[in-house]
Amino acid sequence: MISLNQVTKSFAGTNAVHDVSFSVSQGAFLVLLGPSGCGKSTMLRMLAGLEQPTGGQIRFGDTLVADGGSGFTIPPAKRDTGLVFQSYALWPHMTVAGNIEWPLKVAKLSNDERRARIKEAMEMLGIAQLANRYPGEVSGGQQQRVALARMIAPRPNVMLFDEPLSNLDATLRVEMRVELLRVHAATGATSVYVTHDQVEAMTMATHVAVMNRGRIEQFDAPERLLAEPASAFVAGFVGTPPANLIPIADGKWFGAIADPSLPGLRGYAMVRAEEIAVTDEPGPRTLQVRLAEIVPMAGRRLVTGIVNDIRITAIADGAARLPLGLRFRLPDAPAAFFDTEGNRIS
Amino acid sequence: MTLPLRRRGQLFASHGLTLAMALILFALVAAPLITIAIQTLQPSSGAQAWGDVLASRLSPNLFWRPAANTMLIGLSVAAGCVLLGGFLAWLVVMTDVPGRAAIGFMATLPFMIPSFATALAWGSVFRNGRVGGGGGLLEGLGFAIPDWLSWGILPTILVLIAHYYALAFTVIAAALAAVNGDLIEAAQMTGASRKRILFGIVLPVVTPAIIAGGSLAFAGAVSNFAAPALLGLPVRMQTLSTRLFGMIEIGQTERGFVLAILLICISAVFLGIGNRILSGRRSFATIGGKGAKPRRFALGGGKSLLAVLAWSICFLTTVLPIFLLLAASFAPSSLALFSNWTLHYWIGTSDPAFARGQPGIFHNPQLISALTTTLTLGVVVAFTANLLGILIAVALTRHKVPVLSSLVSQLSFLPMLLPGIAFAAAYIALYGAPIGPLPALYGTKLLLALALTAAMLPFAVQTGRATVAQISGDIDEAARMTGAGFFRRLRAITIPLAARGLVAGLLISFVNIIGDLAITILLFTPTSPLLAVLSYSYASDGFHQFANAVTLVILVISMFATGAATLLRGRRRENIA
Repeated sequence: MISLNQVTKSFAGTNAVHDVSFSVSQGAFLVLLGPSGCGKSTMLRMLAGLEQPTGGQIRFGDTLVADGGSGFTIPPAKRDTGLVFQSYALWPHMTVAGNIEWPLKVAKLSNDERRARIKEAMEMLGIAQLANRYPGEVSGGQQQRVALARMIAPRPNVMLFDEPLSNLDATLRVEMRVELLRVHAATGATSVYVTHDQVEAMTMATHVAVMNRGRIEQFDAPERLLAEPASAFVAGFVGTPPANLIPIADGKWFGAIADPSLPGLRGYAMVRAEEIAVTDEPGPRTLQVRLAEIVPMAGRRLVTGIVNDIRITAIADGAARLPLGLRFRLPDAPAAFFDTEGNRIS
Repeated sequence: MTLPLRRRGQLFASHGLTLAMALILFALVAAPLITIAIQTLQPSSGAQAWGDVLASRLSPNLFWRPAANTMLIGLSVAAGCVLLGGFLAWLVVMTDVPGRAAIGFMATLPFMIPSFATALAWGSVFRNGRVGGGGGLLEGLGFAIPDWLSWGILPTILVLIAHYYALAFTVIAAALAAVNGDLIEAAQMTGASRKRILFGIVLPVVTPAIIAGGSLAFAGAVSNFAAPALLGLPVRMQTLSTRLFGMIEIGQTERGFVLAILLICISAVFLGIGNRILSGRRSFATIGGKGAKPRRFALGGGKSLLAVLAWSICFLTTVLPIFLLLAASFAPSSLALFSNWTLHYWIGTSDPAFARGQPGIFHNPQLISALTTTLTLGVVVAFTANLLGILIAVALTRHKVPVLSSLVSQLSFLPMLLPGIAFAAAYIALYGAPIGPLPALYGTKLLLALALTAAMLPFAVQTGRATVAQISGDIDEAARMTGAGFFRRLRAITIPLAARGLVAGLLISFVNIIGDLAITILLFTPTSPLLAVLSYSYASDGFHQFANAVTLVILVISMFATGAATLLRGRRRENIA
């Protein structure tokens, strides 16, 4: 179990991580999701012990591992954690087997035990045939597997991943997602995974912490993020495609189309792409849009149009020709409503 | 099928450039080496010389002992430079030692101070009266200085380390700075101790740089002439370079040529070994990522001690030698550097009662002539070498011709591997006698200029390549896409980008030329010597104050040029990054 209590980290006066609290149970797969600079990597480095929090406590199970108030900290190696770096950080002068073995040597494991662990880790990742190669001699996807094998060989209780897939091409990324989940299931360790790719979060996580500007916007199961986004930021960040956020002023869509379901409201209405109909006829809550792009997807099409400089995405069925005068029809009522600060109201 | 005329013209032009460069390089680099080899292979005199040097009653004195000294100096200097340079590089790049930036700057300076300056400074402190000319500062204070500390191999080694460690520092610091911080954090995650991370991860990763730095220091040390000549010759310690100089000076040129070839071989063998080790290693290319910002080790308790040590090294090898030279150029007695200071050695007129009637250096007509010759030669050679460097770089990157291009590339880097004094000997072998209708060039400034140009080529070609990379890279293509013509691009893109680097390159060549003694000592014109030669001849005649004063003149010019180059480089980096 990992639990954080009001963790804060400030660099030279600015808060990179601000007042973060959450806890996940043993064996969970937690994804820290957010745009670059949101503080997610700093969070991960605090869990690893590479950075110290300036406030709050971090606990692994019942053990306090870091306390910002007193400056108490357990060094990285004593936390029973493993970290996979974005750059893999493979030691270039050691073979694949050497890379996996070095941490075990540092931990003073016996020769036999080391050999067994190396074999096990390499077999789990399917890289036994690469044992005597150097990192510079194997492909990017294989390097990723070596980094994983090196991380799991000491059998850490907490596995940390810092955007591990961002240097791989799209096909490999999908393959490695499956691989990572398999390793996670096989080891039974708790995983914390940092990414800016919401697809990775949605496909892998048991829990997602959506971060923005050093704070957690929402901590929830992935499907809950889609169903009940806690803020406009979350609504606009997750989902494929993410939900549309349409500005409302004086109870009018775009400040222009009055709607009794929006009595005098001001803020943003969340409208999912599947709730918008593509049409060519004028009608109530129907507006003319300028076509921006069409993305074919699983037999349907994502149609993005521009209204008042705002991109709105709708889903159209089939391959029928799109009407010339493209119009979007909005639903009777928005699925959620946020105030001008982005806080959920209804 | 005939090519259109224009096309054919272009083809000729491109091959023409490469061909022209190949011919120039042949004349400047290959021909002297071939000649020196042929001359020593003449059946009568050549064979005789080889026998004398390698297997005769004389050979222990001619070759074996000097060779052993040379090797000992080379290996000790390489080891010392790697230790000193590596230590400072580690402190500056990987730790939180106070004043890191300043240490990093100071540690690159010794290479800009000519080695004879450091050697003279050593003498001003540690000299003893044994070879005449009075003792140094310490003897003046009443200490008895043993010979081994005053003269010979140990002072030579120490002076050369103080000179060349800057090379090792530069190379190793660059490699350390390029080590991805993630590699170290990954090791920290395992719980490895700091020592274990240093020896298990950091050092192995930068081993190529350590070997490269050591090889460079070795090559520099075995070919250095000034330090063994000033500190070793008074007690008859010979190295191959001083022996080679002696042979040519007394007219035994064949023996000198044989020694030159042997010196080149020794240097080449060791550089070759270094290269072999480097190429045998696996490529250490690492994967890019966002890469953690460099993580500095906190030094903790030893911090102030290490800082004091680093500052002392920098101080002892940069400020102190210069300060000692300055004091020694004012002091009438070498035993008391800080008493009875006089400006006589700088501006005094000839006085029979003082310094055996030698006037101050600014009243010595030779100095004025040496100053103008040195500056002219420096400017002319720096420009010529860098112009050739750019042309060669253009020929290499734009107009690839099979065989010829690789020949041009290798010939242009060959002088880097050649000890300067051996290279100068090769020039005497080729241009010392008339070639067909051409008169003999020995003793002319032209010969000196040619040899120095050839010696500066490796560096000039590097600079040229960097410049051409600017011209031919994406940046230029982006400008071409806008439709800007060649001259417009040259004015708006290429020159602004390349100018600073080019000027810095010119200045560095200039500094290397005016501080050179290894080549000039063999090729200078007796009627108008160069500053470095003048300083050396003052010193070998026992007029240390004058030698120090002349050296300071060189140093001041060097410092201005180096300072300007550093400023230009620094600004440039800021602009790009």
